[in-house]
Amino acid sequence: MNDEALLSVRDLRTTFGSSLTAVDGVSFDVRRGQALAIVGESGSGKSVTMRSVMGILPRTARITGGQAYFGGRDLLAIGDKELRKIRGREIAMVFQSAMEAMNPTLTLERQLTEHLIWHGLCNKAEARKRAVRALGDVGIPDPEKRIRTYPFQLSGGMRQRAMIAMAMVTEPDLLIADEPTTAVDVTVQRQILDLLKGLKDRGTGVIMITHDLGVARYFCDDAVVMYAGRVVERAPMASLLDDPRHPYTVGLLGSSVEVGGRELALRPIPGSPPDLSRRPVGCAFHPRCPRAELPRCQTEQEILTIGPDRDAACWKVTVDA
Amino acid sequence: MGLAVYIGKRLVRLVLSLIAVSILTFTLLQLAPGNFADLQRVNSGATNFGGVGTESMVGELETRYGADVPVWKQYLIFMKGAVVWDFGPSYKYASRNVQDIIAEAFPVSATLALLAVLLALLIAVPVGVFAALRQNSKTDHGTMFVVTLGHALPSYLSAAFMILLFSATLKLLPSGGWNGPKDLILPVLALSLGPAAVLARYVRSSMLETLREEYVTAAIAKGGPRRTVIVRHALRNSLIPLVTVAGPLLAALMTGTVFVEALLRIPGLGLYFANAAASRDMPLLMGTALFFALILMVTNLAVDLIYRFLDPRIRTVGGVSDDGH
Ligand SMILES: Nc1ncnc2c1ncn2[C@@H]1O[C@H](COP(=O)(O)OP(=O)(O)O)[C@@H](O)[C@H]1O
Ligand code: SF4
Ligand SMILES: [Mg+2]
Repeated sequence: MNDEALLSVRDLRTTFGSSLTAVDGVSFDVRRGQALAIVGESGSGKSVTMRSVMGILPRTARITGGQAYFGGRDLLAIGDKELRKIRGREIAMVFQSAMEAMNPTLTLERQLTEHLIWHGLCNKAEARKRAVRALGDVGIPDPEKRIRTYPFQLSGGMRQRAMIAMAMVTEPDLLIADEPTTAVDVTVQRQILDLLKGLKDRGTGVIMITHDLGVARYFCDDAVVMYAGRVVERAPMASLLDDPRHPYTVGLLGSSVEVGGRELALRPIPGSPPDLSRRPVGCAFHPRCPRAELPRCQTEQEILTIGPDRDAACWKVTVDA
Repeated sequence: MGLAVYIGKRLVRLVLSLIAVSILTFTLLQLAPGNFADLQRVNSGATNFGGVGTESMVGELETRYGADVPVWKQYLIFMKGAVVWDFGPSYKYASRNVQDIIAEAFPVSATLALLAVLLALLIAVPVGVFAALRQNSKTDHGTMFVVTLGHALPSYLSAAFMILLFSATLKLLPSGGWNGPKDLILPVLALSLGPAAVLARYVRSSMLETLREEYVTAAIAKGGPRRTVIVRHALRNSLIPLVTVAGPLLAALMTGTVFVEALLRIPGLGLYFANAAASRDMPLLMGTALFFALILMVTNLAVDLIYRFLDPRIRTVGGVSDDGH
C-alpha cells in the first residue's frame, strides 16, 4: 500500500450470480489531491468497481475478494454501519445523469442538506446556508432562490452542477465522478470538467470514470485503463498519452477527441467488448487486437512493470520495449 | 394556465358528461323491456304507481310520468328537477323523493367505502413494501400468493364466510343490520380484502420500480440510513401513483356494493340501486345513475388535484402550471 495514497484498491473481485465476474482483480491508488482517470469502453467494469468500493452494488452482486484502504480502514471489511459514516461525507459520488440521480419530488434544499444532517455535521439552518454556498460555488446564479426549486426545473447543465454541489457540500476528501459528462452537451461538458478541475486544485482527490480518454486527459494526473473487468494498463496520464503501450489503450486513444477540439476522424476499435459471462480465454482483448498472436495471447496475461510508475498486461509490450 | 382555469374546464366537462349520462340512461330505460307498472302487475296485481305512497305523492307521479305524458317531456321534467337537486318521488318507494333516498343511503355506503379503503391501504402499504424489500424471497412469494387469493375471493363470499365464522359460530358480531358501530366491522372487513390485495400488488411493483431508481442509490451513496432512504426517497415516490388506483376504488365502493349490502342488510345506495333496476323505477334509477356519475367524476378530479399536489413535476409542467416556474 502506498503511503500517500488516499484510496488504495487491491485485487478487487466482484461477481454477479455464479458465472459473471464483472471486476476481476483490479488494483489502483488515488493520491491525495490528485485525479485518477479510470478509462475503458462501456461494460468494462468501471462503475461496478467504484460501486463496490462505495458499498452501493445491486443486490445481485457479491464482492468476492480484495481490499479498499481509505484512511487506514478497509472499506470492504468494516461493515455497512461504519461505511455509511464515510459514504457521502468523506467519499462523495457524482453520477452520469443528475436527472436520474436526483429525486424528482424533493427540492434541492432537501437533497443538498439531508446528508449534512445524517452525518451530524450541522443543524438545519446551518445546513441550508452551506447548501446555498455550495450552489453558488458551482456557479448557479441566485442560489437563495434556486435552492427552493426541484431538479427538473433546472436546465441540464445547472442540474449537473447542482448534483456536484450536492456531493461537495460535505467537503469530502475524495470525489468519485462516474461519467459526469456523458449525458451533457459539449459546452456543459467543458464547464463540468472545469468545475471538477477546480475541486482537485483545492485539494480534493478525484476519481474520474469515463469511456473517453479525451475527457480523462483534461485534468487527470494518472490513468487506469480497464478492459473486460481487468486493468490492462496503468500509467501517469502524460506518459499514457505520449506513449500508450497496451494495444487496447492505443485503440482507445485513436477513438478519442480532445475536449473542445474539432471532431477528428475517429477510428473506433473494431468489434465490441466481450460478454463477461463468456470471457475470451487469456487476454480478453485478443479477438479484437490488431497485434494478437495466437496461441500466446490466449494465455493469461500478468500485469508487468514496463517503466517508472507504469505497468501493462500484454506480453508484446515488454518484448517491444 | 392557472389552477382555477384548470378546475373550471374540468367542471364544464363534468356537466357535459352528466348530460350525456342522463340521456343515455334515459334512452336505455325506454328501450329496456318491461316498465314499472307492468312489473308491479305481474308481481302484485297493482296497476298504478307506488306501493305505499301518500295521495299527493302518487298524484305528482301521475302528472310527471303518467301514461299520457310524452317520453321527451318526461325527460325534460326529470332534468329540470335534477338541476336543482329534485329528482321527484320514486316509483317503488312512492312516499319518498329520490334525493331523500340518496341523502339517506349515500352516507351509509360512503362510510363503508372510506373505512374499507382506509383499512385496505393500512394493510396494503406495509405488505407491499415488505414484499418488495424481500423481492423473490420465500416471504415475498408467500405474501403475494396470499394476496392473489385475497384478490380472487369475491367480497360477498368473504362476507358470507365471515358471517358464518364471527356471528354464527363465534357469536362475536351481529350478522347484519345497521344499528351501531359493531355493524361496520363485517362489511368493512369484507369490502377491504379485495382492494387490499389490488393495492398491495400495486405498492409492491411500484416500490420495486422506485428502489431501482438511481436517486435511491444516490441517497445511499450520500450516507443515508437505510430506513430513511426507503421512506423518504423510495416509498414516498412509489405511493404517489397509488392515488390513481385508490381513488377509483373508493368511488366504486361509495356508489354502493350490491352483494355485501344485501347480504348484511345494510341500507346503502347499492341496495336501492339494485331494487330500482329490478323494478324499472325510472326516477330512482336516473337519480342514482346521475349521482354515481357525479361521484366518479368528482373523485377523478380529486385524484388529479391530489396527484398535482404530490408530484411537483405535474404541478409545474405540462400546461397546468400554477406557480409560474
Ligand atoms: N446489475 C447488473 N446485473 C448483472 N450484471 C451487471 C450489472 N451491472 C453490471 N453488470 C455486468 O458488469 C459489467 C460491467 O458493468 P459496468 O461496471 O457498469 O461497466 P462500465 O465500465 O460501463 O461502468 C457489465 O458488462 C455487466 O456484464
Ligand atoms: S496480449 Fe495479445 S491480444 Fe492481448 S493486447 Fe497483447 S497483443 Fe493484443
Ligand atoms: Mg458505467
